[in-house]
Amino acid sequence: MRSFHPGASKAPMKFRMPTAENFVPIRLDLDIDGQRFKDAFTWNPNDPDSEVNNFAKRTVKDLKLPPTFVTQIAQSIQTQLAEFHSYEGQEMHIKEKIVPLKIDLRVNNTVIRDQFLWDISNLESDPEEFARTFCKDLDIGDPEVGPAIAVSIREQLYEIATQSISSARETRVGKKGRRGADIVANSKAGNTVDLGKLFGSKGSVIRKRKEWYLYEPIVDILSNEEVGALDAREELNARLKRKLDEKEESFQTRYSHG
Amino acid sequence: MASSSPPPAQAPVLSPPNPPRPQQLPQPLPVAAVKSEVPVAEPRDPPASVSSIPLEPSPAAVAASYTITIPSCSGWFSWDQIHDTERRVLSEFFDGKSASKNPGVYKYYRDSIIRRFRGNPSRKITFTDARRGLVGDVGSIRRVFDFLEEWGLINYTPLAKPSAKKGEMGDDSEKKETPRRICSHCKSSCNMACFTTDKADIILCARCFVRGDYRPGLSSTDFKRVDITEETKADWTDKETIHLLEAILQYGDDWKKVAEHVGTKSEIDCVARFIKLPFGEQFLGPEEVGEYGKPHQKNDKVVTVPEGENVPEQSLSKRMRLTPLADASNPIMAQVAFLSAMVGSDVAKAVAQAAISSLHKVDIAGGISASDDRLQSAASNGAKEEEAVAASNGQTSSDVLNEAVAEAQSQLKKEEQDVEQYLSDVVQVQMKEIQDKIVHFEELELLLEKERLQLRHMKDLLFADQLAIMQHKMQLLSKGNEKGEKVKQTNHVP
Repeated sequence: MRSFHPGASKAPMKFRMPTAENFVPIRLDLDIDGQRFKDAFTWNPNDPDSEVNNFAKRTVKDLKLPPTFVTQIAQSIQTQLAEFHSYEGQEMHIKEKIVPLKIDLRVNNTVIRDQFLWDISNLESDPEEFARTFCKDLDIGDPEVGPAIAVSIREQLYEIATQSISSARETRVGKKGRRGADIVANSKAGNTVDLGKLFGSKGSVIRKRKEWYLYEPIVDILSNEEVGALDAREELNARLKRKLDEKEESFQTRYSHG
Repeated sequence: MASSSPPPAQAPVLSPPNPPRPQQLPQPLPVAAVKSEVPVAEPRDPPASVSSIPLEPSPAAVAASYTITIPSCSGWFSWDQIHDTERRVLSEFFDGKSASKNPGVYKYYRDSIIRRFRGNPSRKITFTDARRGLVGDVGSIRRVFDFLEEWGLINYTPLAKPSAKKGEMGDDSEKKETPRRICSHCKSSCNMACFTTDKADIILCARCFVRGDYRPGLSSTDFKRVDITEETKADWTDKETIHLLEAILQYGDDWKKVAEHVGTKSEIDCVARFIKLPFGEQFLGPEEVGEYGKPHQKNDKVVTVPEGENVPEQSLSKRMRLTPLADASNPIMAQVAFLSAMVGSDVAKAVAQAAISSLHKVDIAGGISASDDRLQSAASNGAKEEEAVAASNGQTSSDVLNEAVAEAQSQLKKEEQDVEQYLSDVVQVQMKEIQDKIVHFEELELLLEKERLQLRHMKDLLFADQLAIMQHKMQLLSKGNEKGEKVKQTNHVP
């Protein structure tokens, strides 16, 4: 039933992040009483649950946020972790082998845009190391860029991994909350790179010159005014989107009861 | 997760601002110098007089060459190396279990966090600052951060008051008083109580002590129990205890004055401490406590410490009545003799027997030697009592055996009784089961009987019906025959 040719998937395996460490990307975007808190980081799902609360308390204390944030942060983390754990028992079929990943972030004053190929089937891959090397090689001054890149890569890998779960294919309804305003996640994992063509007799490993610009990382440092302008625009977008979502929800509830 | 905590900050030591030079801080010598100097020096001495190491850096005053201080307990830190302490506490990076958690990553976290802090040392770096600037999972970063903070490599500000520091250093010179010790066996910090032995300079946490895997040369009796919770809370040094007792002697019930005399403890603490000193009971009810109290005392501390603590108190109050003993060369015996002089020779003998039987060996010399200076005197009866004590030594072991045998027998009897009881219970239960079954079967029989009767009844009815039908048939037949005959007759006739 399953044809065994080199491009096809191997035997299905249990769901996990296709990286050396089975870490989960967590994104927080909370708005309580007009105060906005956005954050993104990597979490080890094997850490005990008590860590979540401790982390929430510590973050709130460090950033001097109002204490109502503690429960919200903890809940948000728990929800995302629970979602991750819910995938864990299922099998995933990794069909694609090499996918392009995109980075399109703005962290404080630094804008990073990049695209590169990533081997999904390499279970020893390490987004953290990639991010560290990236920052070192490109001499990025802001230390917050590294984690942002790592989280972005992990999110894309997570997306790919969850899509490859057969049972999850049906329940792909309106996944909100996974995308922050900063990044454009690459959910089109379908445009894989066909290895056969590339490394076959006609193809060559060396990238064509005309494609170089696509895969070149771009790092821009913005001035403070530009940052301010971008922030304001994003804020506006986020607010509009939220209003739209609310309208949509109320529409659904109203007419689903009727 | 084993986490070790350093002993409380000792003399903070200068380290030059952080170019990534390996700074093997020159502590060992200067620290020693500081340590030995200060307890002797007057508490009023300004810190500047202490050799070349100022105890208080002034980061604000000197802008260009600000100084970073770290506690001397963290002197092992070096930019180029990873020390055993780090390997031990943060073993997740060094056990090779995960590919991405390796010493390089650990070094990256550690160095980044420390550099970040030292970039702005007047401000404490928060965990969120640190983790936002580091690539990795926040759990591991948190552990590294906590470790660095605990060991004073970041967010460490030396204490301002010289007297506070001296108090701590005075404590540190006495190993017993230091709170938060690390078990030398399992490398975890002992929180409730720890057991030390001076034979081998080992500290064990309660778990390792109970488990019993010490070195072959030691036995459980060699260990002395040190209650840490009490100590950390109260943290009473010997000096303070002496002050307390002196003050009580002088001021009696006036706890305010007592607290003043002690100096560093509040009234409530003084009262609590005084109550906790167990020597009072010995003299309130000597017979009881002497015979029954001692055998059950697993807590060696009570045996040893009161002897240390009692002496100053008793000596102070009874100095008038007793002639000081010349012989203080064997301090334990001297104290024993002293106490026994208080209670009388009979009680003392009983006490000694009981104490020896619970200890097996009397080896308190090491613990008590520290309180040598507090020994005031021993009674002149000491020599006599020593003999009595020595004589009773020989008898005690056979007594102990007899006791043990008797107890074992009584326990055996009890067990037998218990077993019998259980058996009878079991049998009873079985019988009840059988009885229930019998009742059940009887009911079943009843039902069956009823059914049988019903069946019989039905059979009878059936039989009756059959009969009726037969009769009917016969009647019909006979009628038919008659009719036939009549017809025949009529047919014949014409």
